[in-house]
Amino acid sequence: MKEILSIKGLHKIYNGGTHALKGINLSVNEGEFLILLGLSGSGKSTLLRCINRLIEPSSGEISFAGKNVIRAKGTELRHIRRRIGMIFQQFNLIKNLSVLTNVLTGRLGYISFSQSLFLGANQEDKEKALKNLKRVGLLEFQKKKVMNLSGGQQQRVAIARALMQEPNLILADEPVASLDPATADSVMKYLGDLNKNDNITVICSLHFLSLARKYGTRVIALKDGKIVFDGKPAEIDEKKFKEIYGEEAEEVEIR
Amino acid sequence: MKNKTLPIFKAIVTDFLFWFYVVGCGRYLVYQWFEVHLNFNYHIAVSLFLTLLFFIIGDSIGKKFFVGSKKLNGKWYFHFWGLFIVLGLIVTFVVGWNVVEVKPVKFFTKFINAKNIVSGILDPNFDIFIPMLSALAETIFLALLATFFAIPFAFVLSFFAARNLMPKTILGNTVYIVIRTIATFFRSVEAVVWAIIFSVWVGIGPFAGMLALMIHSVAALTKLYSEQIENIDSGQIEAIKATGANQLQVWIYAVIPQIISPYLAFTIYRWDINVRMATIVGFVGGGGIGLALLQQQQLLRWHNVGLIIWLIAATVWIMDMFSAKIRNKLLKTQ
Repeated sequence: MKEILSIKGLHKIYNGGTHALKGINLSVNEGEFLILLGLSGSGKSTLLRCINRLIEPSSGEISFAGKNVIRAKGTELRHIRRRIGMIFQQFNLIKNLSVLTNVLTGRLGYISFSQSLFLGANQEDKEKALKNLKRVGLLEFQKKKVMNLSGGQQQRVAIARALMQEPNLILADEPVASLDPATADSVMKYLGDLNKNDNITVICSLHFLSLARKYGTRVIALKDGKIVFDGKPAEIDEKKFKEIYGEEAEEVEIR
Repeated sequence: MKNKTLPIFKAIVTDFLFWFYVVGCGRYLVYQWFEVHLNFNYHIAVSLFLTLLFFIIGDSIGKKFFVGSKKLNGKWYFHFWGLFIVLGLIVTFVVGWNVVEVKPVKFFTKFINAKNIVSGILDPNFDIFIPMLSALAETIFLALLATFFAIPFAFVLSFFAARNLMPKTILGNTVYIVIRTIATFFRSVEAVVWAIIFSVWVGIGPFAGMLALMIHSVAALTKLYSEQIENIDSGQIEAIKATGANQLQVWIYAVIPQIISPYLAFTIYRWDINVRMATIVGFVGGGGIGLALLQQQQLLRWHNVGLIIWLIAATVWIMDMFSAKIRNKLLKTQ
């Protein structure tokens, strides 16, 4: 198994003094579907954003595909970012632009500034975008404005955008938390498919254990900025669950 | 143990300024009513005396607001500081009444003086309708060009005046503060004042008026635009950054699509304001309908003045209505 991501002694202290990550050590192998569990505020989002430096870590080491992420600057950092797709809870698509243009923005890391003024002029990129839209089942929506799409559809556009980056790794920050259970499962199916068929490593934070068991190959649980569990999804029993989420918690089933 | 010198210093300065003002007001009233001129040295001396007296007694405005103590809490009318504030307000009002020369009797008895202008408004002279229409067109074009030329400047400046886009470095902060300060300064100088400056610079006429409105519009639009940028959804910026885009690409794909509609709405609003200001600016040498109004008024041609007033009112009303409609439409598609 080849290691794709390695994190050592990662700390993040925000300006306000919040100590969000307290020494994270983590090694992720190529092809894993890693689920991040933990309460809101446990540090999941911060951890994901430190991996592609949307948030600057305070200290520690991160290496992605052998490259030092922490020390990377300018172009080097952007070249690391373009191999890491990211999917958000709020989809974060550009709402006033068309579906196709949104998907094409996934190429921004690969093209020059002048090329980026005419997204879609490049035939090769456009074909790639249409192929990815077809893959997420939204080919006929290409000309629609994103704001006219449903939540599930928007998240699939976001997946197509991430695919345009030809990523080795996809970070998904609670990708289904704003969706209804049925839509949530269909979005997770697309992520599972990318993981299996394209060998893209996925790190995905979730709140639903059932989805974690169904799609995850490994589960990490965070509590107060520390890793409190690392193992197979099946190893999480009621006792472990209560350790992660607190004594009051009850597991909610979603199918 | 906290440093106590600074609050005490602040309190004394506040008290002194307060008494200096109140005694000054008293001096002005004594002069107005009794024509007795009091020496400035007495002014200082009395102010100092009152400051120290009430500071020693321990109940003064400065003590209340900067030093504070349990003794000074409670209802304001049981304390000197509360009564002093009332005293300050009363002398301000009395002096204000005198300075402004408020004469209510005149307002109600001298209405006859306005007879000319009122009859002009009620019976406007339509013979000059066509020439005045062309003066009005001058004003509208002036406002339009002023807005149009202001857009590119304000557009570029607004990016540097938005806190969330400027990097949190010394350079970024400096640029942000400098642009904001200059914009605030240019905005706080009235367009009329700019018109006077430019009518000296490039000569009286619509061009001077346009420059005046343009300067003012750049400053105002920079502020409005940059506040719009500060309100954008940061998630979209994150998403575009995560694709490996550079800063310029982030601006084009994550910032501009979010601000284009509100920018248009603000710009139309600004044009609307500029048409209104253009008539005033015309008064001081900016050309257009404002200049015509001034000329006709000085020639005492009240029926012409009446027509011009009707034209201005109609234009402002129509602009206001349309700009509100367009703005609502633009902001709804957000």
